[in-house]
Amino acid sequence: MAAPLTAREEVRQDTAHGGLYLRRLRRAQLGVSLLALVVFAGLLGALPLVILLVERLRDIEVFGVPAAVGLVVVPPYVLLVALGWLYERRANGLDSAFRELLDDDEP
Amino acid sequence: MTLAIIAVTAVTAGALGIGAWGVRVARTTSDLFVASRAVSPWWNATAISGEYLSAASFLGIAGLEMKYGASALWLPIGFAGGYLALLLFVAAPLRRYGSYTIADFVEARLADSRLRLLAACVVLLIGGFYLVPQLKGAGLTLGEVTGAPYWVGVVVVAAIVALNVALGGMRGITYVQAFQYWVKVFAIALPAFLLVAHLGGLPGRAALLGRELPRAGAHGLVVQLDRPRTVTFPEATRFRIERAQGTARAGEAVQLPRGDLVLPAGAAVPVAAGIRAQRGEDWARPVADGGRASPLFVYSLLLATFLGTMGLPHILVRFYTNPDGPAARRTTVRVLGLLGIFYLFPGVYGALGRVLVPELYVTGQTDLVVLRVPEAAWPGLGGELLAAVVAAGAFAAFMSTASGLLVSLAGTTSFDLWGHLRRHQGERPAPGRLAPFRIAAVLSMTLPAALALMTRELDISVLVSWAFALAASTFCPMLLLGIWWTRLTARATAIGMIAGAVTATGAIVAALVAGNEANDTVLAQPAVFSVPIAFATMIVVSLIGRPVAGVDIHMRALHAPEGLGIETPLRTHA
Repeated sequence: MAAPLTAREEVRQDTAHGGLYLRRLRRAQLGVSLLALVVFAGLLGALPLVILLVERLRDIEVFGVPAAVGLVVVPPYVLLVALGWLYERRANGLDSAFRELLDDDEP
Repeated sequence: MTLAIIAVTAVTAGALGIGAWGVRVARTTSDLFVASRAVSPWWNATAISGEYLSAASFLGIAGLEMKYGASALWLPIGFAGGYLALLLFVAAPLRRYGSYTIADFVEARLADSRLRLLAACVVLLIGGFYLVPQLKGAGLTLGEVTGAPYWVGVVVVAAIVALNVALGGMRGITYVQAFQYWVKVFAIALPAFLLVAHLGGLPGRAALLGRELPRAGAHGLVVQLDRPRTVTFPEATRFRIERAQGTARAGEAVQLPRGDLVLPAGAAVPVAAGIRAQRGEDWARPVADGGRASPLFVYSLLLATFLGTMGLPHILVRFYTNPDGPAARRTTVRVLGLLGIFYLFPGVYGALGRVLVPELYVTGQTDLVVLRVPEAAWPGLGGELLAAVVAAGAFAAFMSTASGLLVSLAGTTSFDLWGHLRRHQGERPAPGRLAPFRIAAVLSMTLPAALALMTRELDISVLVSWAFALAASTFCPMLLLGIWWTRLTARATAIGMIAGAVTATGAIVAALVAGNEANDTVLAQPAVFSVPIAFATMIVVSLIGRPVAGVDIHMRALHAPEGLGIETPLRTHA
């Protein structure tokens, strides 16, 4: 019988084990993406309703602009960049963790 | 005016110049990856943003805002947000997979060459839809700058872009697009700052935020009507058209002949068909109970733009210039920042225009607001200089987007459609042959140009949001399911894309036929139902069929991180 394959070889040769490792990585990556999506959809999706329901936002002025308008003009872009940045770190982190997992197994 | 012509010429010559200089490196479809290793994420992100910021961003947002109110400000959020969807689900896997275009991806992933053909047709449809508003912007801008008729601008810019693309200029050249980004940001931000500072804040606050309608100034208002128009007077008004006197009751629609309409000082400005006269407090409401500001309409628009960006034909190609998956992610995050900076400014012009150039309500051509505001806000040299700056920015906007689109369309026509036909006849395709590409470039420009001439009265942003809705209902489900779901089948992809395309197009056509009434309903913004239909169709039909053989290899190519020494057949050609 041949020597047992290293994890790296399992993935490279697309064995059942290799497939399993990769499926785990894919699921984890999808999880991070979906989490970011839920946060974004939750915050941005709530904004139209908040503006519609909270009457006071039209009366409060920030730098001469009603808060209801100000909330649409600036914060969504800050949210986009912040979420994008956090996601990038997390996704790259998962990739490196996967690489390390395979390297640890190296004889 | 002369200043504006000089500025427009300078920006165009600059872009063509950098493009011509880059032509020597850029000859065939493989250009993008020739440069890829040398392009840093910052350059790349700037180039992507430069190509993306179109006439809709530069002229359309402010125009729509002036016309309908602050609810238009959701549009740029969706435009930028589309890159978050791209980042989360598409950027890194697609780069790793090594597909160059959407058609490449769909054929490789689902092993079906007929799907490639279908995808190519959808690319042409979306790209054509998207090209029309760019040309429309060109016609408007050139008309403003030189006084030439609308069709002259459309034809001239269509010809310049087609010629330039056909001759190989501007083809995926990162530096041209990056240059265009900075031109656009500078051209939208600087005048916004200076004009607001010059005016000492927002003028006419009662019409912007309070109980007032937009009104003629202290010296009255003269509006040139280039053709007979029906306008609605929100208040009882006495007016003069050429030599004839006239009166209108409040809420009366009056058919006016061609000529100069003269309104007395302080008269409420009448509005063209399709526009509702709004008081400031209603206009300044980003969300309201009904119409274009209703939550359903807003969500539908956000959904279309959020999911549609990834399906625009000229966007994904650019991601190919990233050397690997992490670089694709890094680039996308930067794009989010760069777009965010730009989108802080268009809103300023819509607000200033409502007060300073209310005559656009009469003609309905609010897409001109960005170009008209500087001289209205600051009569004299200051305003003239700033008008030149925005005109140059607008030119950069539709030149860059139109070029990017045309490259994609011509590539699709010459390689996917024409090439497919030739291969069927038993000829070997010759990649990099330029003659079919050149012919395709000219042909791909002809139809959109003709459409642009016919749709003069449609808003730029409305046209663009159709392209997004279509992309979101076809390529978005295909990409998301193809990248993340192992069970997707070729047949399901085809049926789903057709279902999405038919639903979205059908709704848009229905809205067009129904006229102005339907403009404010979700028929005009169908993503909220067409996207779920496309997704559901693909999923259900896939579950009935058998999964594609060897799907694990594809998943590995899409998701395995770099540096494992895995060379998939798909990744090696990168």
